[in-house]
Amino acid sequence: MPKVGSFRANSVIYFEGDVSDKIFVLQKGRVTLKYTDIETGADVHDMIATGEFFGVKSALGRYPREENALVVEDAQVLVFAVPEFEQFAGANSRIIIKMLKVFSNQLRRIHRQVENLMEKQEALSPEAGLFRTGEYYLKNRMYSQAKYVFGRYLTYYPAGKQAEVSARHLEAAETALVRYGDGKGPAIATGTSGGSIPRSRAAEGGAESAPRKPDPAPLSDAAKSYYNAVSLFSQEKYKEALGEFKAIMDSGGDTEYGPKAAFDFGRSLYMLQQYDLTIKHFTQMVQSSPRHPDLLDILLYLGHSWERKGDVERAKGFYRKILSMEQDEDHATHIKARRSLKSLEEGARG
Amino acid sequence: MADLAAFTRFARVYQAGEIIFSEYEPGDSFYLIQSGRVKITKIVGEIEKTIDILQPPEIFGEMAILEGTPRSATAVALDSVKVLEFNRANFEVLMMGNPQIALRLMKLFAKRIYDQKRRFMILTLDDQQARVADVFLMLNETQAQVSSTGEQDGEKREFRVTVEDVAHWAGMSSQDVQAILAHFSNQRRVELYGDRIVVKNINDFSRFVSSRRKK
Repeated sequence: MPKVGSFRANSVIYFEGDVSDKIFVLQKGRVTLKYTDIETGADVHDMIATGEFFGVKSALGRYPREENALVVEDAQVLVFAVPEFEQFAGANSRIIIKMLKVFSNQLRRIHRQVENLMEKQEALSPEAGLFRTGEYYLKNRMYSQAKYVFGRYLTYYPAGKQAEVSARHLEAAETALVRYGDGKGPAIATGTSGGSIPRSRAAEGGAESAPRKPDPAPLSDAAKSYYNAVSLFSQEKYKEALGEFKAIMDSGGDTEYGPKAAFDFGRSLYMLQQYDLTIKHFTQMVQSSPRHPDLLDILLYLGHSWERKGDVERAKGFYRKILSMEQDEDHATHIKARRSLKSLEEGARG
Repeated sequence: MADLAAFTRFARVYQAGEIIFSEYEPGDSFYLIQSGRVKITKIVGEIEKTIDILQPPEIFGEMAILEGTPRSATAVALDSVKVLEFNRANFEVLMMGNPQIALRLMKLFAKRIYDQKRRFMILTLDDQQARVADVFLMLNETQAQVSSTGEQDGEKREFRVTVEDVAHWAGMSSQDVQAILAHFSNQRRVELYGDRIVVKNINDFSRFVSSRRKK
């Protein structure tokens, strides 16, 4: 049972720094809590209302008292030990819920104050944070976690800035999970680096004219230079494009645009009629990245280059290779290879 | 826990490794562990850090329900985990019907508020050495990381923490904290081990921090 305590004016119920398991309810008189505001350093006096609890947090957590409880006018208080308080509160759920709300507000406030001091931590929007969390898991080959996070991203932000990329990442995570299992397989390039969250391509405007596979990737700096180079290529400024693609390849770090640039570098060489260099470049690529997504097209350019150089047999070899690798007759590269092969064979007959 | 029978319709089961919720995800539910363990993690820079491992009958995710704020950490099932999932709609009903859970939640909030305030106090110190020292004072006060096996007699304290942990609480870089700890070590105020840090005289740290705190 809680005890009744009487305190004279100007006495102290507890001091800051005391550790105690006592919780109080003011029944009569005036009590004020005096403490120093941690943010401003100013002294604060909080007057306790009659019927109000005080000393709850520190008693429940057995933490040092955070304030001095000063008696302003003779006061009568009920004093609970923690088990008594728990028993009392257990029968008065409304009081607990009320206290929970007060506590949660205090928590929110102090949380914000701490965040403000941790200024070096850039504040991420929940949307960007969720996306980045998914990227972290994908990068670290935690596919099921990545799957979960991108799935949630698409649920909450179906039209979000990173929705298309998230969909792609989700697919990549699913594929990798089936193919390799969690923790295994090659690292998946996520296309963003460091902490910056790139803007979406749609928000960027200008680059929309870029030809070749419309790519919803967000525009990192690497992406910008890549699409700039692709744009030069589409304007038939092959020499300039060649230089740009080379620069992207040389900067190396970006795993998403490096291989793309390497492919386009070869195409630019071909357009500049540098067939020997094209053959050299693409042959190296076939050897170093046999799983390059544009492999069929690389083989096609190799075939074309040999054809331009007059080596019909080698050209045919590449076209046949494409037909054997990609048997779908409606596949664009298959069609081109078939057509090229046919014209070479007819040319030989005629 | 018998009174929770009425809430079995809120039961959820997660397999080991499965995410219960992700950091930054909007959350409107909190969880009461009935069986299995739950790991709480947070991605800090390029590292996923384990903040806590929880077991029955602990509560997690409680921040979201009252504030509607995004999750501040990720919860992953460590084993096969069974939880009761509550949301804003059934929260009051649950709390009204289960004051024991409400009390547990209240204690959790009390702890969180205290931890945050204490953390704030550390961060307001301008002197970096004092910040590092104050982290140990905080750990000593909460007893959370004080080794139970090490000697605690007199003024010596043994803490099961790493430089990175200290750096996190001090809001400083690991390198800076490392340098300061090395300096303390030279002064024979601390002893550094791979898995623990020993403060030789906790009262000395206390005096040092007080002298650096602005009045």
